Amino acid sequence: MVLAVSLLAAFAAAGEVDNVAVINGYPVIIADPAAASDWYDTEAMYNLYSPLVYPDPAGGVRAHLATSWEAVGGDYAHWRFNLREGVKFHSGHEMTAEDVAFSMTRFITMGKGNSGPLGQVTAEIIDPYTVDFLLDKPSAIFPDTLALFFVVEKELVSANVDPDGSYGENGDYGENWLATHDAGTGPYMMTSHIPGQRLDATRFADYFEGWSNEGWAEDEVPIEQLVFIMESDYTTLMTLLRSGDLDLEINGGWTLPQLEDIDEDPALNLASVWAQNVTVWMNTQVPPTDDEHFRKAILYAFDYEGIVGPWEDFGNGETGILLPNMPGYVPIEPQPRQQNLDRAAEELALSKYANNLRDVTAVFHFCGGLDFEEDIGLQLQADMAALGVNVEVAGPPWPEYSAECASPESTPNMTIFLFAPQAAPTHDYYTYSMFAPNGLGWIFEAHWYFEDQDIIDLLDATRAEPDPAARLALYEQVQPLIADRALAFYPYQKPTLFAHQAYIVGPSETIVFVGPSENMHKWRINLELKEELRGS
Amino acid sequence: MARPCIAETGAWSMLLFVGKRLFQSLFVLFGLSLLIFFIARVMPGDPARAALGFLATDEQVERLRDEMHLNDPFPVQYYHWLRALLHGDLGRSSYTKRPVTEDLVQYLPATFELILFATLISAVVGQVTGVLAGYFRNSWFDGLSRVVSYLGIATPSFVVAILLLFVFSQVLRLAPGVGRLPIMMTAPPRITGFMTIDGLLAGRPDIAWTAIKHMVLPAISLAVIHIAQEGRITRTSIVENMQKDYITIHKVHGIRTSKLVFKYLLKPSIIPTVTVMGLDFAFLMSNAFLVEMVYMWPGFSRYAVTAMLNKDLNAIVAVVLVIGLTFALVNLLVDIVIMGLDPTVRLRRGGG
Repeated sequence: MVLAVSLLAAFAAAGEVDNVAVINGYPVIIADPAAASDWYDTEAMYNLYSPLVYPDPAGGVRAHLATSWEAVGGDYAHWRFNLREGVKFHSGHEMTAEDVAFSMTRFITMGKGNSGPLGQVTAEIIDPYTVDFLLDKPSAIFPDTLALFFVVEKELVSANVDPDGSYGENGDYGENWLATHDAGTGPYMMTSHIPGQRLDATRFADYFEGWSNEGWAEDEVPIEQLVFIMESDYTTLMTLLRSGDLDLEINGGWTLPQLEDIDEDPALNLASVWAQNVTVWMNTQVPPTDDEHFRKAILYAFDYEGIVGPWEDFGNGETGILLPNMPGYVPIEPQPRQQNLDRAAEELALSKYANNLRDVTAVFHFCGGLDFEEDIGLQLQADMAALGVNVEVAGPPWPEYSAECASPESTPNMTIFLFAPQAAPTHDYYTYSMFAPNGLGWIFEAHWYFEDQDIIDLLDATRAEPDPAARLALYEQVQPLIADRALAFYPYQKPTLFAHQAYIVGPSETIVFVGPSENMHKWRINLELKEELRGS
Repeated sequence: MARPCIAETGAWSMLLFVGKRLFQSLFVLFGLSLLIFFIARVMPGDPARAALGFLATDEQVERLRDEMHLNDPFPVQYYHWLRALLHGDLGRSSYTKRPVTEDLVQYLPATFELILFATLISAVVGQVTGVLAGYFRNSWFDGLSRVVSYLGIATPSFVVAILLLFVFSQVLRLAPGVGRLPIMMTAPPRITGFMTIDGLLAGRPDIAWTAIKHMVLPAISLAVIHIAQEGRITRTSIVENMQKDYITIHKVHGIRTSKLVFKYLLKPSIIPTVTVMGLDFAFLMSNAFLVEMVYMWPGFSRYAVTAMLNKDLNAIVAVVLVIGLTFALVNLLVDIVIMGLDPTVRLRRGGG
């Protein structure tokens, strides 16, 4: 009797709080996985859809919707994927090879979002659980490029095609419908979406990975309902967090005082779950950064400790061509990561601008509105001023800033970008895509340097090497060669700090390489603690 | 027989006046569309690249540029846009990926509702303060209102917004936080887009009341600067009119103070304020951005700035046209109100 009363009381108590997580993210504009691009949209993707393969913290990718894969014929232009059986779409239908082939054809035909790195791919159905992909050019790392390929339900999408679209007989390929509906297999189902404003989703009980409580405490239960809001003012977000109206913030744009406040609040926690590589490209095609010694002078003049300084407690630290958390990371110059003005002066003296330093101006552009990027520019400005070199710092708005990087002539001497494993989940993004002549170009290669044949050969070898261990060795070899050309400097690795209510329990309290940590299947809610901390 | 004739003439001349102004507005809007269409396209940045995102290839970007007619000469681009406009199509937003008209329907009512509320607050508080300060000029109230007005004018709206949110929502917990409704409250079916009206139409006065409570802090944040401005203008006007002969004569004849103020002083004194109020309303349409940011208000002003920052060409042109149209219509409305308040203007219009 006592037990029954206690259980009833416990249920009654649990029933008083909502099993809802209000999450603040970047504006989710595109909810169609064939058109979604930036990591903004991956917030929605990893919750509503499932990728064919999943980024693996140990490097490469692991099985997900596909259980295994192999190259057919040995030239890496023909790949066979074996699919998991029993995966349900939100509609209740089972996923088969038809859906995967349809999704790939749609992805390539639409030519939007993350399809760029894949090239031309043709899909062939072998049997209900096997699909082949035929590539226009061989790639030993093809499976790695599928970490951002999400599967949609063919029947549902086809039934909602607007014939008046820009894809010929495929109409709009269901693009408009998918903006406000989902056709996925992910852990949550979209219930409503106002692009750029709010996305609501509810738990999908038949999610193929299940909702086992293994590894979680007894009180930590799956979150039933997600509400993604999209606010960018951090004063407002702090108010919401303090009042309990916001459960989890996954953009991490906090100022230092705000982080200290959150850290001290017993009802709030911080989770450092993934990091971004802060990269400052140096344009090798325009003066004065066309001179390798001048670029090296910048590397040594920059005060790495000064810029990290107050942020050190929150995880900012060393980085390089790869993120230090990635297998195969090789530390690059300068080592130790300290300002070395003597060495910088030596390099400047070797540069062709040594005799007219006063007449030289290096232009540093950052994305307007990002204060921490401006701080890096101003820090470099002060550092280079000590050597008699003028650095001009400006922050044009994103469209103008990104458009500047369209050609070597229009790219400023230095441009700063963040590369996050959310949108760049494999080694290939940080190596081949950024330093090979056939890489991603634009902001990924704003150094415009493709002259070193040793680098190009090694990068080509990474894409031709099927053995992951041997490929990792190639990545280790190529990093020092790239670093020696001084094409970029890397101020720090910037962790994204998720601020959350203590009753929302995250997957990890340490930085991991792979990013889809906003996949809410990996988070739980402790309703008892919520009741205790916030009431109903 | 003469009176109806004069009335008919007055109504006719008023109709003519309104028609003429509306016709002129068409030309203004046409010129404005040409100007903003050109400016938006020469602004640095590639809208196709901005629309497609990080991983799009150059070929994908080029294809979208073709689809958007961006590779065509400027007059051809304008022709395509104007032709679509005449069919009620403002194009598709490259940022939200939706038709711009859908975006406007989504965001405009939220801002209209908010700034109507802010205008109401600034009109009532500003004019009452101005009248009292003017009538009791050089009193302690006049001095206090002067100091408070200067503070109000000098403090940016977003600072007031953050301050009010912090004090009344976070510390004192007297007012709700952000948004048009609490995050977990289901909005009523959308009919007008005005949350208060839609709440009432849905038979949910509780939603209407909650929506009003959510509007109080952002509306005050927007209204503060205008309360100060309108208060000072009304005060100056009152002081000026109080020195006129007809007021002195009324005073000498012993007319009651309340009658003097409400019948003879107020009407001519609020004419300059009404003009400013009209401009303020249209000004708020485009300048409520920071307050909308702070209060997570899903409004037009925020949409407008997002469009600008993302080089969303169709949205930029539509936003500027909406603001232009608002200025034109509000100014017309102000002129009509002033004709009602000021017989000399009415007679001038009547006389052609």
